[in-house]
Amino acid sequence: MSLSRQRRFVTPGPDETVEELARRAMPDQPLEGAVDAIKSWNLHVFVMRRPPGLMLGSDVIFVEPPLAHA
Amino acid sequence: MFDVIVKNGVVVDGSGSPGYRGDVAIKDGKIAAVGQVSGEARTIVDAGGRVIAPGFIDPHTHFDVQLLWDGAARPALEHGITCVVPGNCSLSLAPLKIADRQRLIGMFQQIEEMPPEAFTTAFEWTWEDFAGYREALEKDLSINVAPLVGHSVIRLWVMGPAAQERAATDAEIRAMQDLLRECLEAGAVGLSTSFVDVDENGRPVPSRFAQFEELDALCAVLGEFGRMLQCVPEFYATDITLARIDQLAELSLKHDIPTTFSPLFDTLAAPENAERAIARVEEQFARGARVWPQMQTRPIDISFSLLRPSLFFARLPRWVRILRQPLVDRLAALRHPETVAKMVADLGPDGGEAMMGRLVARGGDACPADLVGQSLSQIAKARGQAPALALIELSLENGLDVSFLSASAGHQSTDRIGPMLAHPLVHIGASDGGAHLSSFSTYGDTGYLFSEFVRKAGAMTMEQAVAKITSETADIWGLKDRGRLQPGLAADIVVFDPDSIDRGEERPAFDMPGDGMRYVRDATGIDTVLVNGQIAYAKGEYTSARAGVVCI
Repeated sequence: MSLSRQRRFVTPGPDETVEELARRAMPDQPLEGAVDAIKSWNLHVFVMRRPPGLMLGSDVIFVEPPLAHA
Repeated sequence: MFDVIVKNGVVVDGSGSPGYRGDVAIKDGKIAAVGQVSGEARTIVDAGGRVIAPGFIDPHTHFDVQLLWDGAARPALEHGITCVVPGNCSLSLAPLKIADRQRLIGMFQQIEEMPPEAFTTAFEWTWEDFAGYREALEKDLSINVAPLVGHSVIRLWVMGPAAQERAATDAEIRAMQDLLRECLEAGAVGLSTSFVDVDENGRPVPSRFAQFEELDALCAVLGEFGRMLQCVPEFYATDITLARIDQLAELSLKHDIPTTFSPLFDTLAAPENAERAIARVEEQFARGARVWPQMQTRPIDISFSLLRPSLFFARLPRWVRILRQPLVDRLAALRHPETVAKMVADLGPDGGEAMMGRLVARGGDACPADLVGQSLSQIAKARGQAPALALIELSLENGLDVSFLSASAGHQSTDRIGPMLAHPLVHIGASDGGAHLSSFSTYGDTGYLFSEFVRKAGAMTMEQAVAKITSETADIWGLKDRGRLQPGLAADIVVFDPDSIDRGEERPAFDMPGDGMRYVRDATGIDTVLVNGQIAYAKGEYTSARAGVVCI
């Protein structure tokens, strides 16, 4: 049985900033847009967390929007 | 001559096979014979036609500290539980240096809602390493214990305060591996980690600062022993839960270990959550990974008063801060008009109607009798106040001793939960036994399994339900000597009435250290419980037997 496709994610590297993560995960995108997109796809880190934007090594950071599912 | 014969019952052996009339004989703590047993015994237990089953296993508890003054994990044992797994969610009482005790107590207080006095007044804390904790545990056990070791405390031991600040170095990861290996050799059943929890200051717990490479390295050690990785994922967010399932599957396949996450959470607000998680688990099992979702049987009902902090306010940081203060300071804050105005404003323009309006005054406390059973919305309307303000003022008028119930915050649909519990890849657990003391009773989930999902809903047979919480749990966790009525295995046995086994009403009990209150549920329909061949509970009374062990 093959795995169905799931939403793509990465985990942050040690001391990695969101800009560095965006450059790594979305190298073909303009940096500013990639950062904004990552922030909008990961409200659990960039909005709901205290302090907002504190990325942890164990975090799941989505690098694409939610997929449509049946 | 046997030591004990439990006779004249219906043997439900834990395999899921239909029960049959028979007896179970015990010798030297082990099951010696099952079926029509002839011969004599020093003790005869007459099952009186009731079910004779393996003792139930509870795989997700926080009895770490309670077991040190109550080796029966009351009231778990009287519900038929003969083995508990403490140390979940990255927190365990060992290995832990003296200097880090207060830090761990703060985490338990915040995450598991346990009073700090439970850690400081009820036992003598004599150990630092896992072997020392095991030795302290085994002095007075009536129930079996399969303890996990917590990732957060392993990090704390190796990294000190930096455990909550940064990634580990390669040398620190190697030190953690060595320490984990030492814990597993001393009897830990596996490792627990957390992706969601914060300490009493709102800081993420140490395990959350670990890179995936660190967890991978620790799982390599688990692989040497074939032992369990448990985690608590972001269960409220479907996509993140699916990502965690994939991470666990990767670790399971790479290191040939079982993994489990808890809870698998169902809510009518996001009905696709649990269904999608189960579908992903099915895909991963088909690849050979072992990722067991744990699902609790009971609906999520949260009770609280302003006498104590409560997870009900978890999304309201100001409320959490105020309610965690000492009573004198808390009262002062709640009497301060500007502070109260800010608290009410935190609820938004509806004054708390959406979040609090459906709360119900529980009664059995200082609440005026005429308000018991009314919703906070009704109470607030009658007072001409916003619900949040009515909650505060009604509490102040009655010494803060007014309890409210938030009913059915999840897992409220038996029609949905039943088939999920019966699913062959869903692991029944996540009771949180011994935690969340003043929020809800974490005891009686097994009784509820039989009353609600076997008798009422017919979601599974009684034999299937027994298998779910005995042999299947033992197999998932690698508890080789338990979970079945089979010659040679440990004689952990429960005798119960299948027509009446249930959980009682939730009630407050005042038997804990510190401020002393917790919610409990009494057992119904449990006749006798044997642990390693000795009668630990019979006819409504605990015995003096102390046959529990740390088991793996």
